[in-house]
Amino acid sequence: MADQATFEQDAMQYAPQLYSAALRMTRNPADAEDVVQETFLKAYRAYDTFKAGTNLKAWLYRILTNTYINRYRKKQRRPSEVELGELQDLYLYRRLGEESGATRSAEEAVLDGFVDTDIKAAMESLPEHFMLPVYYADVEGFSYKEIAEILDVPIGTVMSRLHRGRKALQKKLWNLAEERGLTGQGS
Amino acid sequence: MSQGCEHAVEYVYQYLDAELTWTRRVRIRWHLRKCVACDGAYSFETRLKAVIRERGREEPPPELMNRLRALIREEGSGSADS
Repeated sequence: MADQATFEQDAMQYAPQLYSAALRMTRNPADAEDVVQETFLKAYRAYDTFKAGTNLKAWLYRILTNTYINRYRKKQRRPSEVELGELQDLYLYRRLGEESGATRSAEEAVLDGFVDTDIKAAMESLPEHFMLPVYYADVEGFSYKEIAEILDVPIGTVMSRLHRGRKALQKKLWNLAEERGLTGQGS
Repeated sequence: MSQGCEHAVEYVYQYLDAELTWTRRVRIRWHLRKCVACDGAYSFETRLKAVIRERGREEPPPELMNRLRALIREEGSGSADS
């Protein structure tokens, strides 16, 4: 059992990260802050049910994710899984190889060329059931087990969504790289 | 594409996410030492993952922490009064 009196001290350190995740989900600073505030209120009220010494960060993310899903999901419109189609493995690397011969300098030009807004746009283009696992694994560094707990799905589901989600993310990044002329051929 | 390559491609993300068993990990590392193509792919995916981590995060508004603290304190004092 965790003590409500220590909530602020224990949980506040995660607020910036939670806000970042919330902004990816809602794509809107005002909504993101609403979600984070509601998350902290719920977490504070339920803090006596949190087992001290277990994974507080994952617990907070689980509340955040549920808060977002309950409040905002209905409004969202993102491409469905079907619209993404089947993509080859190592999508970005392979496309780069086809266009630029996969030289180290061509790879660096693309990787260095991506700015924060590219990563953000690519992430936000994903359907949410792909975006969340990819964000949690790549940006937050959560383990598959933690992501499974946060999203309340089996580990196998996390792995398959991560796999497909990363390919979709790479396709979007490739499109952005082409648009911006970062690939060998330019555009 | 050899069986070792297929194996390496199949497990690339689990490898990068540190989610493989030790045996699989060692087997893949061994393959990467011998296979330039797979080693190049792994190197690229490693760098891409780092780029996503470094550039994928958002900064919160500077007042967020204070607003959250105020919210919690208000909630705390509210329940104490009732």
